[in-house]
Amino acid sequence: MKEGATIPPKIALIGNPNSGKSTIFNQLTGLRQKTGNFPGVTVDIKEGHFKCSDGSEVMLIDFPGTYSFYPSSSDEKLVSAVLANPKDPRFPDAIVYIADVTCLEKHLLLLTQLLDLQLPILMALNMADTASELGIKINVVKLSEELGIPVVLVSGRTGEQMPKLTTELEKLLLPNQNTRKPFYDLNPVEKQVSEAIRLNFNEENPYRALQLAHHFSWLPFLNEAEKATIATIVDTKNFQSLRYQVDETLDRFDRFTPLVHRTILQPPAVAKTPTDRIDAVFTHRWAGPVLFFATMLLLFQAIFEWSVYPMDWIESGFSTLNEFLQTSLPAHWTTELLTDGILTGLAGILVFVPQIALLFLLITILEEVGYMARVVFMFDRTMRRFGMNGRSVVALIGGSACAVPAIMSSRTIGNWKERLITVMVTPFISCSARIPVYLVLIGLAVPKVKIGGFLSAQTLVFGAMYALGVIAAFLTGYAMKRWLRTREPSFLAIELPVYRVPYWKNVWLTVWEKVSAFVVGAGKIILIVSIALWALSRFGPGDAMATATADAEKEAAALNLDAIHQEDLIKQRQLEASWAGQMGKAIEPAIRPLGYDWKIGIALLTSFAAREVFTGTLAVLYNMGSAEADINDRSDNEAKATMRQKMQRETFRDSGKPVYSLATALSLLVFYALAMQCMSTLAVVSRETGSWKWAFFQFLFMSGLAYLAAWLVQVVFA
Amino acid sequence: MQRRYRSIPDLKTNESARALSFSDAALACKLTAMGVLPGARVEMVRQSPFGNAYYVKVDGVRLALRKEEADSILIEV
Repeated sequence: MKEGATIPPKIALIGNPNSGKSTIFNQLTGLRQKTGNFPGVTVDIKEGHFKCSDGSEVMLIDFPGTYSFYPSSSDEKLVSAVLANPKDPRFPDAIVYIADVTCLEKHLLLLTQLLDLQLPILMALNMADTASELGIKINVVKLSEELGIPVVLVSGRTGEQMPKLTTELEKLLLPNQNTRKPFYDLNPVEKQVSEAIRLNFNEENPYRALQLAHHFSWLPFLNEAEKATIATIVDTKNFQSLRYQVDETLDRFDRFTPLVHRTILQPPAVAKTPTDRIDAVFTHRWAGPVLFFATMLLLFQAIFEWSVYPMDWIESGFSTLNEFLQTSLPAHWTTELLTDGILTGLAGILVFVPQIALLFLLITILEEVGYMARVVFMFDRTMRRFGMNGRSVVALIGGSACAVPAIMSSRTIGNWKERLITVMVTPFISCSARIPVYLVLIGLAVPKVKIGGFLSAQTLVFGAMYALGVIAAFLTGYAMKRWLRTREPSFLAIELPVYRVPYWKNVWLTVWEKVSAFVVGAGKIILIVSIALWALSRFGPGDAMATATADAEKEAAALNLDAIHQEDLIKQRQLEASWAGQMGKAIEPAIRPLGYDWKIGIALLTSFAAREVFTGTLAVLYNMGSAEADINDRSDNEAKATMRQKMQRETFRDSGKPVYSLATALSLLVFYALAMQCMSTLAVVSRETGSWKWAFFQFLFMSGLAYLAAWLVQVVFA
Repeated sequence: MQRRYRSIPDLKTNESARALSFSDAALACKLTAMGVLPGARVEMVRQSPFGNAYYVKVDGVRLALRKEEADSILIEV
């Protein structure tokens, strides 16, 4: 092996979008993969491990799909940036190029560009199964000879010829690879520019030097002085970047198209394929959008219907465990930390897993089948009116599960402004973390009546909250479109792939990856908040807690309360005296116009980091200690009813008016629909936009809007 | 006789024509990389539901193109 025992050699998987690259990656690595965490690198790409026949490890890096070295979106740019910089930690020792054999002509462009980098490379001709179905004949030996690299015909889906691929892959890592003649001959200007850059940057490869000339303005690894050097070279030689890129592309096509004709025999094209027939309906003028909304409706219906059961199991499992620990462990604050802090936090994370998993399962299937590209096509116009791109639809749909991966999916949008707007508005879409908040507040405020005999008022309000999020997203997009200026070109140009039955391994791995990212990423924050919340409500300044306890005991004795009610009273007085209580009271003046009291204030503060903490906090606030009433426990209707009664009995300390009027509950609903209350999202936004500036702006804007809207609701309904 | 260029939006549904050249360098760079080349056979399949985008087939490969992108591809008269 090349690199010695400690660092495994790196093999890059590169190919066009829709080449079936991730299928091959999943075949080779299975679960031995994760989102890459290379030092100093902010955009993640997947890495996986693969064991050679001699037992040594190889690291496989799955690069985003791209058509050429001349990129137009940030995930495509990543490929050019890594390959232009041999010092990059992800710079590969060898490349496995994946091409779709059923349209090889389109897939050879990037291969021939890679050939000119002189790295060890092999080509996997994917989709052998489809090719034989279509009657395509390939002369693999001749193709390999003419290109001068190993070529293997494989099928990622059936696993056909995968062992052959792994043997060839291992051979790639052996030393003594012959250098090849460059595929593309630089034109005179390109040659001069390339040579000048090679001298200045100590670069051996002429084609890589040429890449620096094309991309220097945005390449992240060049410093200002280096950029200035290249700028001077490019200017003095009159290097016309854009024109040369097109010329080079056309020249390459001219060279390899005859080669494809010599090695592949394609039967005459069928007039109408199944894909054409499906698209005649699914992208139809009227039927297309109607079917899209029907699909979305079904999707959400399925999520709410199906995820109830596993959610109930998780909730009741945790509450049983919690009770068991409370009764069997000694009464000490460490027990409370374990049960009220850690376990409550864990339950708060895991209860979302079924919903998120189901939503991602269905979205991934739509993507794998090829439907999402059609949605992008149908709604591009609509999205552009609101400052976005057709591709933003994918992010917005994903946002209904969790904004974090949804925001990451916006990387396929090339235009900076469209991408930024997508990132900024995606958190307005009601994610699964808002659902429990909605459920509690709607149950509290909206009577269980049917409108017109069949439409439940509660369902209607629930739907209205989703609609509010969508409307806020689009209006914000429209405002930002007016406000931001960019001269960067915007592209739609997207391939509409052939419809395929999903490859289930890809689906499962994607769902697994997204769900585990949620559990680890968002989960960490929820757990920390849950523990901090417990500590803040368990301890207070000075001897405030002790005084409150003594006072409550006296009061209980005076009122002649039984043991359980005395305990509740003590807990409530303690909470009021605790740090959390102090904080809630401190912000009460600010939230009083919205109709909220200090207890809701605490819930607002704690759910700043993650919305779902809200219901847990309320449970603690109104019922701390009484195990019977866990508001999260949906299987326990009696407990919920008790909880609800307690909330309905709440009154303001000064005026004595009830806290949870219809106006307050609606105002809280609107607040939660619009406010930015998710640390993980803010972290992702700052990472994806490259600065905290936008995350901070988003936080201020969304929370300000939420405050105003909640105030308005309070005024109108009060 | 005056020779005038047409572009993709001028094609009727199911009509096809040969692509000749591009009128915009940045779009040409993107489109050629996706395999839209001078000499390719372009077929108009349909318009998008809300307009402003086209579903086309270029040498059998299905693509969605925005109006500006389609406009930039000049085709034979």
